[in-house]
Amino acid sequence: MASVLLENICKSFVPGKPVLDDLSLDVKDGELFFLLGPSGCGKSTLLRILAGLEKQDSGKVKFDGVDISSLPPEKRQAAMMFQNYALWPHLTVFENIAFGLRILGKKGAALKAEVMSALEAVQLADCAARRVPSLSGGQQQRVALARALAVRPAVLLLDEPLSNLDARLRDSMRSEIVRICRERNQTAIYVTHDRQEALSMADRMAVLRSGRISQCGTPRELYDYPANRFTGEFLGDINFIEGKISGGMLETGFGRFPLSGSAEGAFAGAIRPERIRFADSDHPGAFAAEIVRGTFLGDSGEWICRAGNVELAVKESAPPPRKAGEKVFLAFDDGFLLAMK
Amino acid sequence: MIFRKMVQYMLMLGLLAFLTVFLLLPLFTVIGEGCNWELIVEVFRSPVYREGLLNSLCIALVTTGIVAVISLALALLYDRYDFFGREFCPVLMLLPMILPPFVGALGFQQILGYYGVINTILVQCGLERVDFLGGTGKFWSICLIEALHLYPVFYLNLITALGNIDPALSDAAANLGATKWQRFFRIRLPLLKSGFLAGGSIVMVWSFTELGTPLMFGYNRVTPVQVFNGLHELDNNPLPYSLVLVMLTVSALIYLIMRRLLSTPAGAAAVKGTMGSRAEKLEGFKRFLPTLAFAFTAFLSVLPHLALIGSAFSLRWYGTVLPEVFTLEHFDNALSNPLVLPSIVNSLRYSALAMIIAVFCGTLTALISARWHLRGAWALDLLSMLPLAIPGLVIAFGFLGMTSEYAWARKVFNPVENPLWLLAIAYAVRRIPYVVRAVGAGLEQTPEELENAARNFGAGPVKTLCRITFPLIGANLLVGGLFAFSFSMLEVSDSLILAQKSAFFPITKALLELSQILGSGAASASAFGVWAMAFLAVTLVSAGILLGRKIGAIFKF
Repeated sequence: MASVLLENICKSFVPGKPVLDDLSLDVKDGELFFLLGPSGCGKSTLLRILAGLEKQDSGKVKFDGVDISSLPPEKRQAAMMFQNYALWPHLTVFENIAFGLRILGKKGAALKAEVMSALEAVQLADCAARRVPSLSGGQQQRVALARALAVRPAVLLLDEPLSNLDARLRDSMRSEIVRICRERNQTAIYVTHDRQEALSMADRMAVLRSGRISQCGTPRELYDYPANRFTGEFLGDINFIEGKISGGMLETGFGRFPLSGSAEGAFAGAIRPERIRFADSDHPGAFAAEIVRGTFLGDSGEWICRAGNVELAVKESAPPPRKAGEKVFLAFDDGFLLAMK
Repeated sequence: MIFRKMVQYMLMLGLLAFLTVFLLLPLFTVIGEGCNWELIVEVFRSPVYREGLLNSLCIALVTTGIVAVISLALALLYDRYDFFGREFCPVLMLLPMILPPFVGALGFQQILGYYGVINTILVQCGLERVDFLGGTGKFWSICLIEALHLYPVFYLNLITALGNIDPALSDAAANLGATKWQRFFRIRLPLLKSGFLAGGSIVMVWSFTELGTPLMFGYNRVTPVQVFNGLHELDNNPLPYSLVLVMLTVSALIYLIMRRLLSTPAGAAAVKGTMGSRAEKLEGFKRFLPTLAFAFTAFLSVLPHLALIGSAFSLRWYGTVLPEVFTLEHFDNALSNPLVLPSIVNSLRYSALAMIIAVFCGTLTALISARWHLRGAWALDLLSMLPLAIPGLVIAFGFLGMTSEYAWARKVFNPVENPLWLLAIAYAVRRIPYVVRAVGAGLEQTPEELENAARNFGAGPVKTLCRITFPLIGANLLVGGLFAFSFSMLEVSDSLILAQKSAFFPITKALLELSQILGSGAASASAFGVWAMAFLAVTLVSAGILLGRKIGAIFKF
């Protein structure tokens, strides 16, 4: 397949309001790479630039080190699954999927086999002869996915491919996409705003914010060690604890705690709720707190506890019964209290 | 990529050049030839021309008034209610469009004449005969017959405007306590202004400059007929040019005044139906009331043509309600007239060529403005729509002026020796807007993403056009072509003015000549008219079947 390199991509539709602002990105060969961000952050525009459907104002797009910036869309081999599917209504499901394969010169039995295998991958083998308008939204989405997978592109571009599916189907499609990408060593760039999807499937991912990359890395790096507040908050709940920072330590009203990461220029400590645990009073680093309120979620419980004058969200799995007003001791997991810049 | 853009720009420049030569140049020729102050003053000084202008204006005003009433009523019925046969209305509304009013004028005389159908009925009821076509009768007949021909244009514009009104706006008024009538006058009617403007200005300019109908009725005191009659002595009297210029100016004024009166605040354009219109389902006998209204209107507009068929097949239709003694003699007579057969062949040639030119230019224009995103595409869009606003008579006169003014024009399309290219191009230029509309509507309804997807899957621009775009808008293309063809077959102004030798007469001019033969002329012309109508009906019914509901999109201006 191909590696993808984006160099200093700038794009604006309205002068002075950049959608992509000097963005650079490196996706390795065979990687399932996720672009995650809130709506309007430029992730779909980035995909369209990769596909050649939009032209960047400046910067270069390279596949396998070759600059393809001036290549028309049909020469790029970057099959895209469109957010609104873009299935051709005058063709059957079979013909929609066969379209790209025919252009690649496939015909006869080989063509049929490939179309059917793509349809089987999305569990729609019995819909081959149907017309697109007769399919439900979820079925259309899967046909669009099959169409993009079938041509085995150098780079597969997926624009929110599972947004319209019910939870069960989405789970099975997720593992199917991962399986196909692994099997084929398929370079794929996957746009979504669903953090669970990104965290569970990505080899690496980038969080986008207003046309810039907020942070790029493996799901674990980004989740456990967010480099900034935006990434931290976007990927999950997180507590920010303000206090005096000196010598790599955070000094708060309820204790002094070691910070992980470089503390220089940090404004607060940050820790995810599941990295705070209920502890015994003699546990090293334990501090006293009081439960303010709580939510029981079955397999877990979320509590708001007050320590000093700070409210902390705490997440606990297999929660025992706890009441508001209860006095407890809490402790931070070692190495997970981050210096936040 | 750069090469492709260059090709696209070359095509656009080519189109612009084509339209400049065949649309702007004729226009400027007319203006140049007509811009003679002495003659213009003469136009306004002569009581004959003043009367002509006044009559034309009155025809335009009355026709537009009748059209507005008919189409507003029908459009509101269609928009508000779900009734029996509602799905056939779009096709039904096309019927009047395809029946050329000047052919209908032949049949109309049969109905309203002194010994015609209505008078016979009056006598049978013990009443006096009324001379409908004497005195001002001709005037009202012309207005009525033009209105019955033109109301679909207005109607379709209103339907579009109604469809664009968010029902929530009316609901909001109801929620605040407005009654049905208050909601209609305070909310819906003001929001319909754009539809009134678009439909009204077209109908008004069209009826102001209509040549065929008054000519058939022998109503000579209107400007278009005066222009036409001045044609014979054009060499020593250039006054018709000035008359055309005056007509063009008045048309422009009509348009400007309508715009002034009906301009909507910019914000109103943003009101877009999010839910579309909701038609209320009627129960019981009420289901048939709107159907009756539609059927009655359609019947009225078909009536003259039914009369035409009647007189074409009857040996005697004089002082009776229904024709007596059926015969095919008139068809024989029509076919044996040396004008008829060649004129059919001529019309077919002119129209086929015109269709090819119009479809090519129109499709290209639609692609350029809807898909290629070229700089300056707005100019092309504007230019290609211009023929809707410029009366056919003006363009025809412009061509005539060009052939006398420029040596190259005289050489390329000499109307005396062979007007094939001249007529084909004149027909085509005036049909381009219909093709642009038809194809443009198809392109707008087809998401560009479908073409992007094809490009994304490796199809080049030409392949994408052939495999995705054209199949998706195939019906629109076909209908655009059919309309270009059939409207060319029935074209009046260009045909009457530009075809000068009988060997080159198209159908319409042959029809006029035939109808003016004393004695059996009217009957043979009727027979010929029936033939032409049947021919058109076949084209348009097939268009209707192909495009179904979308057909209205072509007449939205």
